[in-house]
Amino acid sequence: MALRTRIRRHLGALLGSPLVAESASFGTAKAPGTSRNVPGELNGRQEAILLLQVAASIEHALMVEYLFAGHSLGGSQVPDSHRMTVGRWRETILGIAKEEMGHLMTIQNVLRCIGGPISLDRDDYPWDSEFYPFPFELEPLTRQSLAKYVYTESPGPDAFSGPEADEIHALAVKGSGNGTVHRVGALYARLEDLFSDPDLVPDGAFREDTFPFQANWDEWGRGYQSGARGNSTGGMMPHTPDLLILPVTARTDVLSALDKIAKQGEAATSASDSEPSHFARFLRIFREFPRDAGWTPSRNVAINPVVADQSGSETYSSDYSVISDAHAIGWAHLFNVRYRLLLVSLLHAFEYPSNLSERSELTPRGLLIHSTFGEMYNLRALSDILMDIPIAPGVPETAGPPFQMPYTMKLPVDLIDRWNLHLDLLESSRKLIHYLQGIPGQRHAVYLRGLSDIDAHLSGSIHNVADGIQRQSPITLSR
Amino acid sequence: MPILEIRILPPMAIARFGSSETPLEAYELKVPEADPLGFREIHPSTTLEIDHETGEVSKAYIPKRIKFRDGHKIRPVAPFLELFAKTSEDVIEPLTLDLLAADGLGPDSIRWKIDVANIKAFRQTGDVNDQIIAGTGWFNDHAAKDIRGECRNFRDGKTLPFGRVRYIKPTPAHPEIRLRFTPAEGKVYGSSLKGFDPTTGLPSQKDNPVFAGDESRILYDPAKGTWFGFQSASPRTATNPDDIYEGAEDYSSDPNKLGHSQGYFDDVCDGPVSARLTLNSGKALTARAWISSCMPAFAPDSEPFRTVADELEQLILGPEVAHGGNAQAEAAEIVRRMLETVRHMNTMVMNGNVINGRVNIAHTLGTQDSNDFGRNYAPVMASSLADNLAVMLLHERIYTALRSGTAPWFSEVLRRPEEVGDLSDKGRRKMPPMLRGADSRTLALTRRQIHKIARAAK
Repeated sequence: MALRTRIRRHLGALLGSPLVAESASFGTAKAPGTSRNVPGELNGRQEAILLLQVAASIEHALMVEYLFAGHSLGGSQVPDSHRMTVGRWRETILGIAKEEMGHLMTIQNVLRCIGGPISLDRDDYPWDSEFYPFPFELEPLTRQSLAKYVYTESPGPDAFSGPEADEIHALAVKGSGNGTVHRVGALYARLEDLFSDPDLVPDGAFREDTFPFQANWDEWGRGYQSGARGNSTGGMMPHTPDLLILPVTARTDVLSALDKIAKQGEAATSASDSEPSHFARFLRIFREFPRDAGWTPSRNVAINPVVADQSGSETYSSDYSVISDAHAIGWAHLFNVRYRLLLVSLLHAFEYPSNLSERSELTPRGLLIHSTFGEMYNLRALSDILMDIPIAPGVPETAGPPFQMPYTMKLPVDLIDRWNLHLDLLESSRKLIHYLQGIPGQRHAVYLRGLSDIDAHLSGSIHNVADGIQRQSPITLSR
Repeated sequence: MPILEIRILPPMAIARFGSSETPLEAYELKVPEADPLGFREIHPSTTLEIDHETGEVSKAYIPKRIKFRDGHKIRPVAPFLELFAKTSEDVIEPLTLDLLAADGLGPDSIRWKIDVANIKAFRQTGDVNDQIIAGTGWFNDHAAKDIRGECRNFRDGKTLPFGRVRYIKPTPAHPEIRLRFTPAEGKVYGSSLKGFDPTTGLPSQKDNPVFAGDESRILYDPAKGTWFGFQSASPRTATNPDDIYEGAEDYSSDPNKLGHSQGYFDDVCDGPVSARLTLNSGKALTARAWISSCMPAFAPDSEPFRTVADELEQLILGPEVAHGGNAQAEAAEIVRRMLETVRHMNTMVMNGNVINGRVNIAHTLGTQDSNDFGRNYAPVMASSLADNLAVMLLHERIYTALRSGTAPWFSEVLRRPEEVGDLSDKGRRKMPPMLRGADSRTLALTRRQIHKIARAAK
């Protein structure tokens, strides 16, 4: 059963009734000692885990959409007089994408703390639900797509209303595939509500011994100070906040983390605020964005580019742009493999503790964290390459990063097989690199050679880790 | 064309120690295009061979391969300094026999003079009699001239060999005017065959294995000066850090002083090279350059990310890069050099990680932050991130991404020069971390290097 169906079965019950209902309706039941409803098959903790998984998939989807939009900005069609401005927008949006990743990590921390499975899964392509902001769409930045981002990150109507808010909402609805658009704040409000109630999520649900396994700023923050991250052109709004990567060990930590995530998204409506929210930053871009077609800030990138099964057995609706240029197909497959490597490295990093000060030996956690960042750098490079290649022979529209999810986001059960998965992906990558290297006149031969060498070094490091595992177990790497 | 002025190029030459009689041949470093992450390739280039007897260039050739050692003896880097003539307002050309002849002059119209010194002991003791100074006086012949450092506190008749210089004899085949500086061997000299015993404050009864009974390396006279057994007050700001002489970290019975000096000297020197061309009119044209000697390059196929050349480039061209040039390639080159630097770092130790259960096992920047400011001792980066191979892989990935044409995204995480004293976790983790600058605090790139990366990001 598809992810969305499995989740929606429960969400339907939740969303069909008020958050705080006076009486239980079919499919929901009051938890003992509380007036709040929970879906009939779940208890409070399980509902929290369900909603955290929904939140994770939303943060993941938003991160990818913002990355796509950010990378689409620029290109030779941007007039010289607007280049600095467009560069600033790009940095701002890529910066917000990184913050979404911080949110995603913090949600994983909460999941880890209350005993839920770590989740990086998300569904591909159109997905509509009242908790989800708008149907998933990878598209170059336009005024219409920007309106969706502004609206979905906006505070409630009490804090943002008037003609401009109306215009943004109307534009966002028009740009949404199913004619609806929602604010992400509602989900976090529900989560805060849930975690506030000890009858729904009891004190015993919070496990502080998971702390060393959680992501933290020391390892993932990369030393950026306020306002500095992603601000190479110096044009960003002042005091851009730090990445929120918050380990949690207790109820108060969780509530504080959820509150901070919600505020980083929707709070602070003016540029003079100490830490401008996503909403404030998107709104600033919206106000500066050209209204007419006099010039275009974004490259002519295809919407929802996908790389299809070569047998042609798959069919795609008009929502997708199937990549058919032979070069672009190779790069898109490579992109998807590296995207999976990123997700696998990130997921795998949660398996190892960080409390090295009490230990002497290194765990592979650092290798996995660096690998995650390394793949981010690869995705950056590959996005730029894809947005420079026609999506089909002879057309002006370019391909783009497809961000297609792998067939599974589960890690293998045995330690050694988790590392085998890395090696499998590196082997897939090697075949694609070899294919791309064989294209006559390959413009990115140096990059491909570098990537190939790095993968060889990485394989060496993985074998070193595997040697350590083998000393404790007779199981060996498969290659 | 009349000779209006003269110049010595390069204006600064750095020689490298070596005890082989054969100097290191010339080469260039190139990043292999087909192997972007590979080590820089060493490409031999035109080398001048000097005839020991005549001082002439006996041949100019391109070596088949570069040899860094002859057995256990390292080949010294012995730079040439060449005279150039300004012959009009915008022309500087090599000064040659023909150019001299056109003004009715010969090679003997040119005189050279070298004045070098090693005043390291003086910097500690403050005693001018501890300065080691050498000068050749003016000369215009082509014999090799030993540079021998003299010091009033040396034993009678003893001098410290700093190397030699030679005015290369120009010939019709090689008519340029050159001087060659061949540095010393890179040895340690001292004050006694015995060590200094810090527990008694007196010379030890034991032989010092550094000298292995070699009396010829004992130059200093402890009866004349205080360098043998000298104790620097601590803290002391004459040098930064202050504990840079051998023995400084040994036991000191006086808590306000560092340990006793073992009375060592090295054969490093630096100082000006002067050239004077006397015209027939009697007018003398002069030029000056600077020579210095230092240790051999033990990783010649790597370039540190910040060198003296970066300082000079900033001094000459300013802290910002003008428009033009290939901004992307310049940024990638800096990252390439960062990668080459990381290759030689033990990042786990330098980060201050616990190693085999031992805390703070080496004198690192983290140690220094604690010693100098009482900062709570802590690793610089999160311990899990300091794995050497993983850090190297990360740098390889950044460099490779830049080589794809992607603009750099990290200029704001680079430490600014005014942030080198920021001891917060965030401040210490800015790039580059774990490395020390000449001011004892965390190293930063030059402003010009930072601007190169920021420029490519735009």
